[in-house]
Amino acid sequence: MIICPNCQHKEMSGSIYCSKCGAQLIDMSVATHKIHTAEARQVAQRDTVKNVPPPPAHLQSWISLNMIESGQILPLADRSEFTLGRSAEGQPIVPDVDLSPHNAYANGVSRLHAVLKLIQEQIIIMDLGSSNGTYLNGNKLQPYVEMPVAHGDVIFLGKLKIQVLIE
Amino acid sequence: MAKNQDFYTLLGLRRDATAEDIRHAYFEAARRLHPDKNIVPGDTEMFLENQEAYEVLSNPKKRIKYDLTLPPEKPADNPLDQRVLFSRQSMIRMAEPQLIYVFMEFSHPAGIQTPPAPSLNLCLVLDRSTSMGGLNMDVVKATAIQIMRKMKPQDIFSVIAFSDRAEEIIPPSRSSDLRKLETRIHTLQTSGGTEIFSGLEMGYNGIIRNVLNAEVNHIILLTDGRTYGDEEKCINLAHRASEQGIGISGLGIGSEWNDGFLDELASCTGGSSMYVSHPQDIQKTLLDKFTRLGSAYAEENRLDFKIPEEIELRYAFRLQPEAGVLSFESPMMLGPIARDTSLRVLMEFVVQPQTAQKNDITLLDGKLSVTLTGEHNPIDPIPINLVRPYSDEASTEIPSAEIVDALSHLKLYRLQEQARLEVSAGDYDQASEHLHRLATHLLSQGERGLARTALLEAEHIKQNKSFSQQGRKEIKYGTRALLKSGRSTEEL
Repeated sequence: MIICPNCQHKEMSGSIYCSKCGAQLIDMSVATHKIHTAEARQVAQRDTVKNVPPPPAHLQSWISLNMIESGQILPLADRSEFTLGRSAEGQPIVPDVDLSPHNAYANGVSRLHAVLKLIQEQIIIMDLGSSNGTYLNGNKLQPYVEMPVAHGDVIFLGKLKIQVLIE
Repeated sequence: MAKNQDFYTLLGLRRDATAEDIRHAYFEAARRLHPDKNIVPGDTEMFLENQEAYEVLSNPKKRIKYDLTLPPEKPADNPLDQRVLFSRQSMIRMAEPQLIYVFMEFSHPAGIQTPPAPSLNLCLVLDRSTSMGGLNMDVVKATAIQIMRKMKPQDIFSVIAFSDRAEEIIPPSRSSDLRKLETRIHTLQTSGGTEIFSGLEMGYNGIIRNVLNAEVNHIILLTDGRTYGDEEKCINLAHRASEQGIGISGLGIGSEWNDGFLDELASCTGGSSMYVSHPQDIQKTLLDKFTRLGSAYAEENRLDFKIPEEIELRYAFRLQPEAGVLSFESPMMLGPIARDTSLRVLMEFVVQPQTAQKNDITLLDGKLSVTLTGEHNPIDPIPINLVRPYSDEASTEIPSAEIVDALSHLKLYRLQEQARLEVSAGDYDQASEHLHRLATHLLSQGERGLARTALLEAEHIKQNKSFSQQGRKEIKYGTRALLKSGRSTEEL
């Protein structure tokens, strides 16, 4: 599903213009970050093949985030939806998963960057209109477009690398 | 590279491909063959060949040089060029419905000699009700005479006038004694009401007699009023006409006629509907239509199709030569392919989530029957199978510029359609909001006049809980006309 950034109307995935307000829902600028893409893909492949740590089994989590830089694993549990971002002083918005300890600011993570959701056994990620974008396996996501994620996928929030581990 | 293969065939392109086509073909091939993905041995070599091809073709200077080294193109024996573009390369496996747009183009191949102009069997069905009196009728008469004079010797022409009943003014005939026939048109008087069916039926009965003697069979209906109670009969007649290869086009004059009805009449036969608000535009519109009928390369183009249960064809629109909504059900009458203007169709499909794991999904399975003018050997129906693979990964490709361009204009037409639906559903605030949005887009495209009309209508709806007759037609046909001025109709 796509949420129109202009009028918040819900449109089906694959829509090109919002049927309610007529706003364009796709980014016509040619994709940049070519090096970025290749890098992310390599990381994704390397990590899927070799070093996927088993998800921590003792927790009731449906998803864990493997912070590739630090090697730390963040299990997420008890909810079916998590916003990812960083907290900032004096800001009322606090994301469910605060990535500040992981150099979020320096890596260009927005305060509300992306959301992970569990919908009918399917895990999806959606960019929340972040400044530096969200990448899934090297592909830039359209803001407010939901994309399915699979075990071992690598997400970039700005420059912050996170691997998704699914129970 | 395989023998007999050049850079164009390698990328699946024609020699006259545009820079945009080349770029698109290359990226698609590159995605498919990228060393990170490919499995089949030899793909990497193909990937490198593609890269080489793209390097040459994307550089205008190198391309010209390269073109000179190619042997002359073999004459194409395919009587029809076709092109299909999808808004996305694959569907995503997901638990929600998703959309895909398909753009299809059929054209007269450049290599094929243009056949002589097709012979016409044309009937004008003229509304002579009282309201047509004055300037309208004078212009209509003058235009009918002009058309008659333009007829080729083999063409067949007839004129029917109707009010409460129909009268054959000129029986179907090849132009012989022009002066006598002109006098018959001149003496037409206006009186009575508007009963379209009587006129249409008489026109149909006349045209059906000569349907085998001409290549293009068409009825043009001119009216300025609503017909009461016989719309359904008219539509049934139009379906019959369409089966016989007869097209019907409608020209509505002023603001009182029923545009929904005329559009339907046209769309079920592959004809077109036209709108003029001022009598002085009647002449140009009719003569244009006449020229178009005479420039048909292929007629009676009909798409018979089946759609799987999990797919919905939500919209079908002809972008050119004459913009208009098409039937969403089989058979879809596509209208003619002109010698100089291709036929372009845009379809919107909704794909429901799949329960079974499938590798691909058929959107539409059908065949296109085409009747070429000037060619008496019938050609085989062209299979049209629209299939997309499924993938787990979302792609970030940008849909082709042609689809985005077409939709950028079509969205305006669809905004007004929505406003109409909302007015009939009693949702006046929504309708007015949609018209405001429409006006904003129109302004940003420089269409100030039409934007103003949309704003006035938004007000009108708030106050009177309905569209004004005039405004509603101006917005509908005004936004439709924008499709023609779009970049999508130019050669890129």
